[in-house]
Amino acid sequence: MVTTILQSILSVLSALVIGLFFMGLFRIIMARIHWRYGPPLVQPVIDIIKLFFQRSVSHGIMFDLGLILSLAGSMVIILFMPFGNGCWCPLSGSGGLLVILYIMLLMPFGIALSGGAGGNPNVSIGISRKLILSLGYEVPFLLIVLAVMTRYKSISLVEIVRYQQDLQWGLFSWPLCLPGIAYFLILPAMLGIRPFDVASAPQEISSGPMAEYGGKYLAFVHIEHAFGLSITIALFVNLFLGGADNILFLFIKMLVVFVLGLFVHAVFPRFRVEQAIKYLWKWPTALAFVGLVVTLLVK
Amino acid sequence: MTPGILLSIAFAGALLTYLLGKLSSRARDYCAVIISLIVVGSTTVIYGKSLEQILPFKFLGLPLALRTNMLAWFFAITIAVVGALSIIFSLSYIKGRERTNLYYFLILLVNASMLGIVLSGDLLSFYIFWEIMSWSTFLLISYNRGSALSAGMKYIIMSLAGSAAYLIAALSIYAKCGTLIISSLSTMLKTASSGYTLFILILGFITFGIKNAVLPFHTWLPDAHSEAPSPFSAVLSGILIKMGTYGLLLFLYVLVGLKTFVDLKCGILSVQSFLCWLGAITIVIPTFIALLQDDAKRLLAWHSIGQVGYIILGIGFGTGLSVAGGIFHVMNHATFKALLFLSIGAVEYRTGGVRDLNSLGGLMKKMPITFIGALVGAFGIIGIPLTNGFVSKWLIYKALISNGAPFLAFAALIGTWGTLLSFYKFIHNIFLGQLPEKYKDIKKAPVSMKLPILIYAAIIVLFGILPGIPLKVINIIVNSFGLDSLQVSLWGIGSETGALNTINICAVILVATIVAWLVFRMAHRSVPLSQEDSYAAGAAIPKDKYHHTVDFYNPLYRMIGPYLKDVIDQFYYWIARRVEMLCDGIRHVYTGDVGNYVAYIVLFVALLITAQIWWQPW
Repeated sequence: MVTTILQSILSVLSALVIGLFFMGLFRIIMARIHWRYGPPLVQPVIDIIKLFFQRSVSHGIMFDLGLILSLAGSMVIILFMPFGNGCWCPLSGSGGLLVILYIMLLMPFGIALSGGAGGNPNVSIGISRKLILSLGYEVPFLLIVLAVMTRYKSISLVEIVRYQQDLQWGLFSWPLCLPGIAYFLILPAMLGIRPFDVASAPQEISSGPMAEYGGKYLAFVHIEHAFGLSITIALFVNLFLGGADNILFLFIKMLVVFVLGLFVHAVFPRFRVEQAIKYLWKWPTALAFVGLVVTLLVK
Repeated sequence: MTPGILLSIAFAGALLTYLLGKLSSRARDYCAVIISLIVVGSTTVIYGKSLEQILPFKFLGLPLALRTNMLAWFFAITIAVVGALSIIFSLSYIKGRERTNLYYFLILLVNASMLGIVLSGDLLSFYIFWEIMSWSTFLLISYNRGSALSAGMKYIIMSLAGSAAYLIAALSIYAKCGTLIISSLSTMLKTASSGYTLFILILGFITFGIKNAVLPFHTWLPDAHSEAPSPFSAVLSGILIKMGTYGLLLFLYVLVGLKTFVDLKCGILSVQSFLCWLGAITIVIPTFIALLQDDAKRLLAWHSIGQVGYIILGIGFGTGLSVAGGIFHVMNHATFKALLFLSIGAVEYRTGGVRDLNSLGGLMKKMPITFIGALVGAFGIIGIPLTNGFVSKWLIYKALISNGAPFLAFAALIGTWGTLLSFYKFIHNIFLGQLPEKYKDIKKAPVSMKLPILIYAAIIVLFGILPGIPLKVINIIVNSFGLDSLQVSLWGIGSETGALNTINICAVILVATIVAWLVFRMAHRSVPLSQEDSYAAGAAIPKDKYHHTVDFYNPLYRMIGPYLKDVIDQFYYWIARRVEMLCDGIRHVYTGDVGNYVAYIVLFVALLITAQIWWQPW
């Protein structure tokens, strides 16, 4: 019991640290690509601490609660995710990957409820775009996850990691390489980075869902963003790169995936939401679909 | 307490309420509520009993029987509770309208006849109750007159087609087996030839598919659900369409039996996979059509069809887990859909009948309880953990994935995303966003509306955290069908390839929420501001100028809207028009004028005489 609680706290904290590190790294790498010097690595942490001491405005109870719900949802997912060696997964026996899929709904939904209560037109536009985009990437994403679950005949992420460590990494095994590539193609959309940053789009709609947030609200959104980065990339590593024996290896694998994703972000302009959906429902979906069919046939 | 007494109370109560209404409307209201509560109480009493009762009188020379078992009880308690809560909600909703006596009489009659359907022990009394239900439903759907009349007409025509199919099935079963008592049929039909079984199942599928609104028989539902009075929409969507599910369960698992059903094939297509894929299509297409609706009740109605898809998929897939999930979803859908209909009913009541999603908004602060109800209902229908919808959907997904049907699972999962999008729109456009000026003085919902809303919300959360309570009953039903039983504990399901533990999920979500809340509280206090005072890059947002909810998913609408037309409905209308033209043509001949008929007779006789003169055939 005590070890479970300790593991839970440790995995949540490490996910937060990894996420914040990625956010810092993100800004440095982007700056170097732009021929700038960039902020220090710990800038996101400094920002969050600063934001907690700033004044903020609230638009009512739902405005607060939605945000809290969203952050709680992201912390809960971490507990379902194997963080190194498969043993740092305190809730592996409570519903598996299906629960992760479902609690992943809570993150955008919580923000959407909170933002909606604000009554700002930019927020409404941003949320509408975010939800449409999520429908866009969810189609290939579900096919990918189903292909993996069908291949290993399990809905438990811990078992999926174990199979890969015994046999071969998913990304380098036939036919799972197809959904693996598809996952990488939709990763920018899931992370909400360019070319898929329609939802926040700072130059068009004042950062969309975040327009009304200031002070601790913005700090919460940043923390949640850090968690979101960790979750999405850790899920990719666990599904296709064989998880990891300990948190260090997990971190290295995640770093590689993240930096590759960043290069995509750096060179692309922004899609419109229709263009984004058209892209997401074309190549990644086709790859994931073929992958799932082949998985069914070769089993 | 026997089923006979229960049904007598229910039917006599309906009549008594009607008669009392002639004297005093107050007494009638009390009477309706008390009768419905007595029905709930007496249904609870027959829990766990399994008996069959042959009635002392016959109809058309055939014995009539009533029976009760776990399956019947499970449906009966859902009917009784949904009915009672809807009647409580009606107290203020229907007050001051015309024909209230008839309304209460009919809604009690619908409840009684639905109880009759699930408690009937032979196919004839099943048919009698089925028809009482269909006709009283027709009157209730068209209660509002106007466009409700054509919605009711559409319903009753489709319903009659279903009844005709049922009658053919029942007659042919009687001709073959010589009895209509379900308990004796269940042993006889299991040995019937596969061709005959298929014939019976197809007829049953038409009957129950129409009531259940499975694609392609769904077209009556969107009109009927949106035009009916809201408390009755809750009954209609919550439990009445599930009578089709009950009938399907009865035909598939009680009469035909699991083994025959699973082995049944029509050419290369197995009946089971046909049913599953139909369920999958019924999930996806209606859910995405729902996403594009602007009328709140129409949106809910399309989702009823979508959710029925999950039930059909679960029942059709035919493993212990999936059937349990399907049956559990019957009850879950009844709770959250009734809750959603009641919430929009309360909004409709306070705003004077407005249910257009493009003109509401910001009602959260004005109607907090209704908002909580709608939110819990939305969470339930999306299937967010800690609601009952999550558990039933989890069971279905789990069954599909572990038995190697990922495409069916994909249809079910993507349906959930469609549901999320449309229910965010539902919540956002009614309760969030800016409050229009005209709704500034709106009042909270009355107590008789809040009470059912809160009860439903409590049921949804309770069965989401402790799903073992209903699953224990469902496990017995599933066992009686000859399927594998589940390892049910109070808070989840254990199985070899992945378990579900709702208590763990509940605990971590609670702890995480408390942690997040503590961090939130410890930080600097925020300053409350009104909704109008929001950031717009230096410009002020004029009041009531922009409506943030209009065309909420416009980019998506532009993309998928053209593909999502209700082709089947258009096809039915095309048939209807052709039949109308044909009948018009015939009317030119059958004018109704005696003179014309005399002329026809004279002409015919002349023809005969001519023929005789020319060819002399006689």
